[in-house]
Amino acid sequence: MSAEQAFKVEAAYDIIIAGSGAAGMRAAIEAHDRGARVALLAKGPPRANHTRMSGGRYNAVSGQNPADSTGAFLGDTLDSGCHINNHHMARALAEEAMDRAYDLESYGLAWDRKEDRRYVLTMTGGGSFVRTIGSVDEGIGITEVMLHQLYKRRIPVLGFHMLVEVAQADDGHACGALALDMAAGMWRYFPCKAVIIATGGTSQLYETSSGPVINTGDGIAIALRAGARLVDIEFMQFIPISFVYPPSARGYTLTEPAHYGMRHYDPNADAAHLLNNQGERFVLKHDPVRREGSTRDVLARAIMLEILEGRGTPEGGVLMVPDPRVFESFLKERPIYVKRLLENYGEDQARFQKPIQVMPSALYTLGGVQVDAWCRSSVPGLFVSGEAAGGVHGANRLGGSSMPDIQVFGRRAGMAAAEHAAQRSEPDASGVKHALARVQALEAPLRRDGGLRPCELKQRIQKLMWDNVGLVRSEKSLTSTLTAFSALREQSLAQLFVTGKTRILNREWMEVMELENMLDIGEAMATASLLRTETRGAHYRTDYPESDPHWRANICVDKVRGRMLAARQEVVGIEAAREPAVAVGR
Amino acid sequence: MNDEMTVEAEIRRYSPGEDAGPRYERYVVTGAGNMRVLDVIRRIYATSAGDLAFQFACRIGRCGTCAVKVNGVPVLACQERCVPRMRIEPLTPFPVIRDLVIDRTEIEERYARLALTPAPPAAGAAQPLPMDPGLAERIGHLDSCLACMICVSACPAVAERPFDGPAFMLKLGYMHKHPANDQDRVDSAMESGLLECFGCDACTQLCPADLSPAQEIRELRRDAVLGARSRS
Repeated sequence: MSAEQAFKVEAAYDIIIAGSGAAGMRAAIEAHDRGARVALLAKGPPRANHTRMSGGRYNAVSGQNPADSTGAFLGDTLDSGCHINNHHMARALAEEAMDRAYDLESYGLAWDRKEDRRYVLTMTGGGSFVRTIGSVDEGIGITEVMLHQLYKRRIPVLGFHMLVEVAQADDGHACGALALDMAAGMWRYFPCKAVIIATGGTSQLYETSSGPVINTGDGIAIALRAGARLVDIEFMQFIPISFVYPPSARGYTLTEPAHYGMRHYDPNADAAHLLNNQGERFVLKHDPVRREGSTRDVLARAIMLEILEGRGTPEGGVLMVPDPRVFESFLKERPIYVKRLLENYGEDQARFQKPIQVMPSALYTLGGVQVDAWCRSSVPGLFVSGEAAGGVHGANRLGGSSMPDIQVFGRRAGMAAAEHAAQRSEPDASGVKHALARVQALEAPLRRDGGLRPCELKQRIQKLMWDNVGLVRSEKSLTSTLTAFSALREQSLAQLFVTGKTRILNREWMEVMELENMLDIGEAMATASLLRTETRGAHYRTDYPESDPHWRANICVDKVRGRMLAARQEVVGIEAAREPAVAVGR
Repeated sequence: MNDEMTVEAEIRRYSPGEDAGPRYERYVVTGAGNMRVLDVIRRIYATSAGDLAFQFACRIGRCGTCAVKVNGVPVLACQERCVPRMRIEPLTPFPVIRDLVIDRTEIEERYARLALTPAPPAAGAAQPLPMDPGLAERIGHLDSCLACMICVSACPAVAERPFDGPAFMLKLGYMHKHPANDQDRVDSAMESGLLECFGCDACTQLCPADLSPAQEIRELRRDAVLGARSRS
């Protein structure tokens, strides 16, 4: 079958949404309810998304802890983000999180409660008040209730549709989405008035990661190539405590309540101690005040340094000494994790009676496409929400803030895109020619009979990123990685071939397309990391170990004629931080 | 955890529309003693079968998309420990897209038909839905169903009788208990074959999320036969 035969122009939609996690689903619900015709593309089956893997812990000011306030949540978010967050976005998060939590409950989720109308509130990493709600079904429940809301609205959910390109009209507006329907082996071009990218993060850039295998930064790279600007892309959040073994589970997050111990309920209590192979509480060297209750960036770095300096376990972790007093409540709140501990480590560890091996793992892409508080990117008609967008979390994210992020900004993206679409004329097929040219290029690996296998290149990129653009960075490591990336781009990308020539569920072919995205984002991350000559939040430079006030600023990255250009930019809306925060009207 | 094991795996290979019929290909994989079936499949893909179609995303038992049959028993590939000889096949009785990947379109349509949403709240009702904490916990557990279809695949009644299967009954049970439910879920369950269940408990034995569809079926049957008033 030729590329032309495998290419179909689909019926027009107002809005095409890429990504089946909560950010994409929330955008779909909102845009639909505001009258837009929407379709949602999922790269795999719709349940294969990052939200589903989350512990589902959700920061919100519920009014049920009288000491907490919207201002306090905003303050924690900015402190954690080292004050380079987009302040408008951080404020929207703090103000709207609770209303979106009520939305989820109206969709069918049941937040954990201690009384009929009183939720169970707990602590999370970096938070200073007991404010986090959760539910026993975690991210699974959140995605389930949302998916059924999409079904109720008869919103098409197109599985195995990988977004590969956003088409643009002559005036630069997004005017179509090109996707590979992997189940049918067909290219599908969707004319539309707006595109929402909610394809998640880039954790698969790293050798050890906590996210799903599909998070290869596709949407961020597609937006970058369409001319959108990235922000904060040098900041990658590593979760400090994840499983060390077995191989299939390595890097999967072990959930913070296990680590937090009594601090889960009480901000003054101690979190579980972390010990190196000499029995030393090494975190005290890094944060003598908050100790093991410190933020994720500090803990992850502290653990990584112990491992790199030879004080880790033979399997490549450190030891966490859990508090057996919280086992019963942990079992009740997080039965799935007790089961994982039991299966992976043994009964003593599952009962919190023996130390548990933990290691850091790439969890969450803090930066992403730069958007305003209504999820508008610098490309008109291209909206981005969720982990693919940057700005709200700044240099580090509070535990429990990704869940409200994707609800608040998923809804905002849906609102803004629906409004944009209402003002645009009916989409035409002007993007088809460009899409067909793109298709021809993407088919090249199918025609090649030998060369480099995509999984080999993927491993090389993942190792380079883990070793050099991970928790510990330096000018030397970053420069050498950029050199290596340019060699891979020049020599390896064009050599990629796929073993089988089928168009249907050809995983290697999908990986070739992912690799172009991974190389773009890896290069953007290394470029921004090199420019940021300081240490801030999740970004740690051995050659610049202190924070520099000059860098209380963002770094933006554009891709111009094939080159990554990084530049310093003032923090957006910093003046907003000085206004008193007010709760939105209920 | 440092011990190794060697596994002989036979994988069912089939591209409908491209192949005349299915075939089984044999692979030998050596890896960690506690490796999972998914580790074996991924190793085969990485080393010797770049054209193998298989599905997974989370690798930790949450997305529910990697379910396959191993030696005839439906399991989550990412959670199942290996045995020395394994015949790995796609989940039945579902249509196959290619090799180990099934087409879930009809499954999702079935969920959609069941309308698994509670009544929308009154406008502006931004407050907790009044709910007993124990009930909230129960509902939460039921909503942690992975929709992996292992129970449906294992159900002998599904194979023989007009029965949608345990996963769908579990979801109806969840909605039946939900305080904002506004539909007759027992009626829906009856239409979906509630009375066809043999009561064998295979669904509960195999559920990777430790849920009991069988218990939900029993409770829906009790309410179908005795009426909701039978509940205290």
